Amino acid sequence: MAQMAGVRGPAAADRLHDAQLTRRELLGAAAIGLVAAVPAIASAAGPSGQLTWGIHVSMAPTWFDPAETQGIITPFMVLYALHDAVVKPMPGTSQAPCLAETWSKNEDDKSYEFVLRRNAKFHNGDQVTAEDVKFSFERYKGAAHELMKSKVALIETPDSQRVVFKLKEAWPDFLTFYSSASGAGWVVPKKYLDKVGDEGFKQAPIGAGPYKFVSFTPGVELVLEAFEDYWRKTPSVKRLVMKVLPDEATRLAALKRGEVDIAYSVRGELAEELVKTPGLALKPVVLQAPNWIYFPEQWEPKSPWHDIRVRQAANLAIDRDGMSKALFLGYCKITNNAVVPYTFDYFWQPPEAVYDPEKAQKLMAQAGFAGGFDAGPLYCDSSYSNMAEVVVDNFAQIGIRAKLQPIERAGFVAGYSNKKYTKGIIQGASGAFGNAATRMASFVVKDGAFAYGNYPDIDELFPAQADELDHDKRSAILAKMQQLVHEKAIYAPIWQLGFLNGIGPRVGESTFGTIPGFAYTAPFEDLTLNAA
Amino acid sequence: MSTPSDVVVLPSPSPTPRRAVRRLAIRFGDFPVIPTAILLAVALVAIFANQLAPHNPEIGSLTARFKPPFWQTGGSMKYILGTDQLGRDVLSRLIFGARVSMVVGIMAVLVAGVVGTVLGILSGYLGGWVDQVIMRVTDTWLALPALTFAIFLAAIVGPSMWNIVIILGVTYWTRYARVIRGEVLSLREREFVRLAVVAGCSKWSIMARHILPNVVNSAIVLGSLMLGVVIITEATLSFLGVGVPPPQPAWGLMLSDGKQGLMVGYWWLTVFPGLCIMLMVLSANLIGDWLRVKLDPQLRQL
Amino acid sequence: MGRYITRRAGYCLLSLFLLSLTIFFFVRVTGDPAALLVEPGASAEDIAAIHHQFGLDRPLWVQYGLFMWTLFHGDLGQSFYYQTPVFDLYMSRLPNSLMLAAVAMIFSLIVGIPSGILASVRVGRFWDSAGKMFALLGLSLPSFWVGLVLILVFSVYLKWLPSSGAGTPLHLLMPAFALGWYFAAAHMRLTRSSMLDVLGSEYIKLARLKGLPEALVIAKHAFKNALIPVITLAGINLVIMVNVAVVVETVFAWPGIGRLLYEGITFRDFPVVQGVVLLGGAMIVLVNLLVDILYATIDPRIRLER
Repeated sequence: MAQMAGVRGPAAADRLHDAQLTRRELLGAAAIGLVAAVPAIASAAGPSGQLTWGIHVSMAPTWFDPAETQGIITPFMVLYALHDAVVKPMPGTSQAPCLAETWSKNEDDKSYEFVLRRNAKFHNGDQVTAEDVKFSFERYKGAAHELMKSKVALIETPDSQRVVFKLKEAWPDFLTFYSSASGAGWVVPKKYLDKVGDEGFKQAPIGAGPYKFVSFTPGVELVLEAFEDYWRKTPSVKRLVMKVLPDEATRLAALKRGEVDIAYSVRGELAEELVKTPGLALKPVVLQAPNWIYFPEQWEPKSPWHDIRVRQAANLAIDRDGMSKALFLGYCKITNNAVVPYTFDYFWQPPEAVYDPEKAQKLMAQAGFAGGFDAGPLYCDSSYSNMAEVVVDNFAQIGIRAKLQPIERAGFVAGYSNKKYTKGIIQGASGAFGNAATRMASFVVKDGAFAYGNYPDIDELFPAQADELDHDKRSAILAKMQQLVHEKAIYAPIWQLGFLNGIGPRVGESTFGTIPGFAYTAPFEDLTLNAA
Repeated sequence: MSTPSDVVVLPSPSPTPRRAVRRLAIRFGDFPVIPTAILLAVALVAIFANQLAPHNPEIGSLTARFKPPFWQTGGSMKYILGTDQLGRDVLSRLIFGARVSMVVGIMAVLVAGVVGTVLGILSGYLGGWVDQVIMRVTDTWLALPALTFAIFLAAIVGPSMWNIVIILGVTYWTRYARVIRGEVLSLREREFVRLAVVAGCSKWSIMARHILPNVVNSAIVLGSLMLGVVIITEATLSFLGVGVPPPQPAWGLMLSDGKQGLMVGYWWLTVFPGLCIMLMVLSANLIGDWLRVKLDPQLRQL
Repeated sequence: MGRYITRRAGYCLLSLFLLSLTIFFFVRVTGDPAALLVEPGASAEDIAAIHHQFGLDRPLWVQYGLFMWTLFHGDLGQSFYYQTPVFDLYMSRLPNSLMLAAVAMIFSLIVGIPSGILASVRVGRFWDSAGKMFALLGLSLPSFWVGLVLILVFSVYLKWLPSSGAGTPLHLLMPAFALGWYFAAAHMRLTRSSMLDVLGSEYIKLARLKGLPEALVIAKHAFKNALIPVITLAGINLVIMVNVAVVVETVFAWPGIGRLLYEGITFRDFPVVQGVVLLGGAMIVLVNLLVDILYATIDPRIRLER
């Protein structure tokens, strides 16, 4: 019997340094008519003021509809504003009751009952009902929808506030998937959708989130307005404008000039500049996206990588600390677990990562590669080629000579998953939702979408944990699996990526980093403006 | 970026090559000495990069990042022009970058030039369906902006220096084809070609012995102007993430990698490669302009 | 003349058809849009569902047939990424692109025409080479770098101009300059050679013989006539500017056609890429056709050329 309490308040806000717009900046901005919104005076008189974002990717209308959530993290930057879920990750917990006030599961683990809040409303004033929850689950067609639908036998709505999910068999991951590993728990208004249809919904979405949709210009901006009847609290900022600014340097320039208040993804030297600029603050967030090096040749007896000592040497050769400091101001989290992020359920903490090129060279010599060897191409997503450059350099220091092959994202993901990169080295990453088991399924065990080979002793543990209902026992099996991944040096873990963002002087509480592993600002109702 | 000039070639009279050479001799006085010296210097640096570069251009040290040039505080003679974001020596990268730029520039211009000239001659001299096919393909190519086309090819074949050469060559051959075809059309009506036909020379030998030597001038002029376009496009592809792959030292890649540093005050990361690109492209253009006036008035509009 | 125009127009349609074929198959070789819409680890069923939704599970020739069929009905299809009709997207961006191109053209003519005239009349070696150098410099610097330096100087240090986006006329200045400078050299070169042609002509010699002051000869008689080809080229370049501003639009976050196309390529948004390339191609082909007809009207010999 699991019982959850209400959500705790937001984590203590980080105070800003010198949160003053200089007079000159103000005059400059005013002179060309840019001071659009008067800085808000935070008060109890309802939402006021405006915050503007500089967003690094172009937003798509599919992001406005939770049913289309394909398991990538970017749509959630909008979903958290427009919509709400039955249970979702919130500050302090990855399974916070949101539209559901409480939930319970019955003794045989085959049925979950959610009791909805009476004060939860959609933007059009309709109450969020059990029927909406059921409808939203059924129309969900995003990531893992087939898996979830194959596990759920039937959904009952005994009354308008209660929803019961009846599972075909006990499934320990149900809540993980329902709350965070998919978008199935996000609720849309059935009545409205019946009226406008899927297409109409994307043009004018209505949700139960803290912000209402105002307008969207593809590739340019999204405008949102506070929804005063949001159940959790009335948002403090009246208007949100999310502008698409594709170039990183331009985002920083816009932040410096006060054209935007929050800039996503400002890396490397630009982040250093951000730290140096008075009035601006850096907001680093650790993503649930680990980066790793993978050795697809390790199952080939003739390859140097078949020798575990070579793989261990590669592990010792990577200067993770130096690289994090150089590229991300040291804000990446070095967990030494290759594919499972530390925020996930069943995460196992390996021994600390070691950087020891001398020992690495000894291992290479023992393996018979004192003179090094040509390792062929190192494939990577071209947006991470700065990392890969350092890895190639690090490997070269111990004699592993690789040639960098950055491939544009679409091509890289296709090549990696179609198992085209059988020769050489792969630098991979995944920001997919889930838990330790889901990551292992994709990246470690036999027939995993990204597993180029497998080890039987790990494989046989996998089905055992999938049926294990006891959390501790399951945890032990998954820990054992992760330990084996570590000991066999199947991967060389790099880190969990630090996502560096900047905020300007007008931002009070930015909410960055309050939800573990989440990259963007959320929950939006906690955002505040500084009193002018 | 597409140079606009390929779109329209205005008709104008064509000279005999001999007269052009004579005029070249007479007006040798305004020969662009400095641009030629610059290009020669770049070529020499490219050839002797191994001897000239003080450091390995691809290996750096994370503890020596962002060292400024020697005359600024914090700089040293060890890294004369400073170091980049991964602690690599900027000077050494520039020196090896000359090699990449030269190879990419010259080879891409050659690929485009050879393909375009051959097709232009075939199209212009053979006429008929050959001409139709080649010209319709050329029209189609020209309707697709060069940079778009290059991005496409880059996405298909993946990045490497030689792929960039192929991409740029395949992108820009149409400019030669159009210009050369236009010249061949007027050449084929000339006395010496008619005489050759009467004398029983085969089509192929006429094209190779009589037509080709007469269009080489135009091809050279066009090539010198294209060198600049190609180098700028190479840099632009790097900016869009589909250029010469890192850590290979290429000027365009250095400029694009270093652009972040511009905002932070690490000016040397972009100013030096920017200067190199600028000097090389400017020189190529000045030489091209000079050659154009001297050799081939028909190309004056370019 | 009528036959000439019909033939040229036929060629134009043919090259647009070839372009549609080329672009259709090209985009499909570059990769799979589904791979970008799912996180690594998605199931094969999820990917298949996306393929089905976009109609990518049908044979290629069927897809092409459908594409052409809808195209003949005036429909460019629906964007995969934005889920909006491509034509609507295009039309929402076109005014921005035209505005940017128009102002860029003004910049490039302001630089190109005077420097071309100076180069042709050689008023003095200094001004001649200074103008020429400035025009050529625009051709010698990658525009992304020019753009970033402009932002650094005018937005960050001087704080005169907004760094990015569209909205006010001030937003236009920097991107238009970055775009226009690149084209200045082409206009300078044509102005110069066209001026030289005119200055060598009989009626200018006559004007000089009549004893008219040299400045008047250049300004009134020569310049007016020399301008015709320059204006023609400017017209063509205007269309080209609309289609090649990718880099400038990315740096300045300018919501134009170039960025629409570039994002289309990176997202593998096939309908957007096809639509933008075809509409752009149609523009270029059309302008070239008009120029051809114009020249054929002026110079009848061209009509006979095969």
